[in-house]
Amino acid sequence: MINKLDAYLEDIGHYLAVGPAREEILSEIRSHILEKAEDERPRSGEAALEKVIAGFGPPRRVAERYLEGREIIAPAYQRHLFRYTSILFGFHFIFTLIGVIFDRSFVLFPFLFVPRMGLIEALMYLPTAFLTDLGFVALILYFVTQSKKDIKLPWPKFALEAEEIRPPRKPGALAATLAGLTFMLALTSAAICFYLRHGTVFIAGLAGSGEIKPLLTAEAGRSLSLIVIALLAAGAVSLFLKLFTRSRWVDVGSDAVSLILFGLILRRPFDGLFAVPISGRALSGIKISLAISLLFIVLMTAIDLLKNLVMIGRTAPALKPPERRTPA
Amino acid sequence: MTETELGSLETEMNRGFLQILVLALLEKDRYGYSMIKHIEGLGYKIEENTLYPLLRRLEKNGWISGRWTLGEDRPRKFYGITAEGRAMKAGLLAVWKNQNRILGEIEKENEHDQ
Repeated sequence: MINKLDAYLEDIGHYLAVGPAREEILSEIRSHILEKAEDERPRSGEAALEKVIAGFGPPRRVAERYLEGREIIAPAYQRHLFRYTSILFGFHFIFTLIGVIFDRSFVLFPFLFVPRMGLIEALMYLPTAFLTDLGFVALILYFVTQSKKDIKLPWPKFALEAEEIRPPRKPGALAATLAGLTFMLALTSAAICFYLRHGTVFIAGLAGSGEIKPLLTAEAGRSLSLIVIALLAAGAVSLFLKLFTRSRWVDVGSDAVSLILFGLILRRPFDGLFAVPISGRALSGIKISLAISLLFIVLMTAIDLLKNLVMIGRTAPALKPPERRTPA
Repeated sequence: MTETELGSLETEMNRGFLQILVLALLEKDRYGYSMIKHIEGLGYKIEENTLYPLLRRLEKNGWISGRWTLGEDRPRKFYGITAEGRAMKAGLLAVWKNQNRILGEIEKENEHDQ
């Protein structure tokens, strides 16, 4: 008979915080249940005990009553968990990408550590980085909650407020997306056809016999053509998905893929890229112009990625809706 | 209004009421089960899994104090109101009476208008 009571109390104890208070709580519940079971007429013994235990409530519910008002993260700060994690992870992502492109590591203890790694390692590293960011932000919010002070956590407002509530899609927007998709599909198909026929999409012109004159060396032309085709395809897929959803995750995915592909372009050595003769001075100018253009595009894409992650974080639901309370 | 909605609102209303009720009851030393029986005798019901956590919170706030007694056949934790709790009870009762007065006056006004 007592075994059932012990098992019930053990279950409640499992959900309670460890400490001397737990033993006292359990002793008080035990005393209550035994006394009430004795008063149960006409039931007696095990049947009475079972009835009283059932009436006391499920162990987790009972334990939660004792834990009310002792949240790990206060409801007012719960949305910051997603906000700050998205910002931190956005920086983590960008630094990881830069680290992969330029083959170097970054340390900003204890916020950031990006070791030197290749693309595959980076893809395995990022989920771990996300969990670390989430844990780090949760720890900060835990300390803020436990301080019991009314701390107003900062939140940057860089022209994001206006986008908080997304306006309904304009009537012409769907047609524009469809037109963009058609154009991107045509461009991607043309690039694929051109590549399959000539092994490159970069041409300097036509040779005397009508043969194409490749702009880049065979190997560079092949790999860079594949990257360009992948970029066009990613754009087409993104536009296709936007026909059905307005989720920011589509933009995040598209930005992330684009950044990886731009990273692959930037990693390529520039020297020995061209198959056509170019003077040293012109080559130097082209090299600088290309690098600046690509870095500018990467920067804009990274900002867009960060902005979308922040917006997703802002609109993410709180872990638990705040409890309605009447004023005392 | 459904019974669930009514129950939910009653739970919210009870939060404050139960605190006054327990503080008032503990002018005399009592333990949890004896309080539940006493309240039931007055035609009201308080869930045990509501009462014990409430007693714990009130004790933590210093409004009641608890002590274990090992007499009779089993240990029991008796609670009694403290001076601080008595002051709190007086304040809460004043609020409650004022709320009752306001509500009563509004009800009278409504009856008069009809």
